[in-house]
Amino acid sequence: MHSRRVYSLCLRMVGNTAEAEDLTQEAFLQLFRKIGTFRGESAFSTWLHRLAVNVVLMKLRKKSGKETSLEQVTEPDEESGTPRRDFGAPDLALSGSIDRVNLQRAVEQLPPGYKSVFVLHDVQGYEHNEIAEMMGCSIGNSKSQLHKARMRLRDLLQEELRAKAREDRRAAGGGAASED
Amino acid sequence: MATMGCNEFLKQLEGWMEGERGAEARAHVKQCAKCSALVADLDAIQDRAHAWGAEEAAPPDRVWVSLRAQLESEGLIRDAAVAELEPAAGARRGWRAGFFGAPRPVLAGAYLALLVTAAIALTGPSTRQLDEKRWMTGTQDTTGALSAQLDSAEKSTISAMAVSDPVVTASLHDNLAIVDNYITLCEKSVREDPENEIARDYLYEAYQQKADLLEQMTERGVSGR
Repeated sequence: MHSRRVYSLCLRMVGNTAEAEDLTQEAFLQLFRKIGTFRGESAFSTWLHRLAVNVVLMKLRKKSGKETSLEQVTEPDEESGTPRRDFGAPDLALSGSIDRVNLQRAVEQLPPGYKSVFVLHDVQGYEHNEIAEMMGCSIGNSKSQLHKARMRLRDLLQEELRAKAREDRRAAGGGAASED
Repeated sequence: MATMGCNEFLKQLEGWMEGERGAEARAHVKQCAKCSALVADLDAIQDRAHAWGAEEAAPPDRVWVSLRAQLESEGLIRDAAVAELEPAAGARRGWRAGFFGAPRPVLAGAYLALLVTAAIALTGPSTRQLDEKRWMTGTQDTTGALSAQLDSAEKSTISAMAVSDPVVTASLHDNLAIVDNYITLCEKSVREDPENEIARDYLYEAYQQKADLLEQMTERGVSGR
């Protein structure tokens, strides 16, 4: 049942069940209101998910208090093409330390454009051409947003690991040494 | 062969993650611990996200109850208008009755809801791998025969309905049109994606609904209600 997909999408995008339920209801309400405009030019599921994504994005934009476009948020140091900082230090390797809870927490911190593409591609399993159609952007833009989203997630997850390591050291009474 | 530096690899990382892995980039990853760790991290994020995607939850029933109320308030579904046409006994329950938590199937609203729900279910990305040839030889024969039987039953039913209450007849004709649209949509989806098992299930359901509706129409034609 694709109501599960719509609900899961909403839940992953907003991170709480009450809002996800409201958004699912809104998406299906829009579906009933707009069913007459579906002309079969795209797959029905693509049409429905575009509708659901738009409902979610609208909500996220309202929450952030401003219009947010897919082009939003490029990292200053990405423009210079230089590495941001010391990446991939062995003691911060994420492999084996990511679970659903900390991934979900990190995804919630992503800007709306990044979050949408990451959730649609890496979580929901859509292809870039489908995402481009749903979100009204180019395939290249979808790929670029996804890459930036993953890089941002890596930063967020590593920061969480660092925080946890600091806490562990403090708890173990070894807080005298500073790791940063 | 000179390998690329970290900055050059970072520029190509997006392509790398899309599977574009040139010899120089591969050589760099092999000899650079930092870039190797970066790639491993991104792979781990992808893997975890993929596993998260497999965990899907159904929306609670209250979403549909609330949606139904909203649709009724906007006049997008007609509940009361057709509820009185429902037979007092013998109403078929089951999954259709439960779609919006309704106490019994309500033809126009429920069928419209089903039409939309079926459309949602029919055309989504399918991960099922079915034997298309087996489906073509098995399912298409069955659906073809069902369709022909239903067409024949419809003709008989409509001629019987001619003597019943014209208001009731008109309403039931409307409902028949809705179910026919539903069937058309299901057939189209099955044709477009014959491997979609859900689409096939919905097509059979659509035929079943038409059979149920024709049966009800026949009963009304006989009783003159």
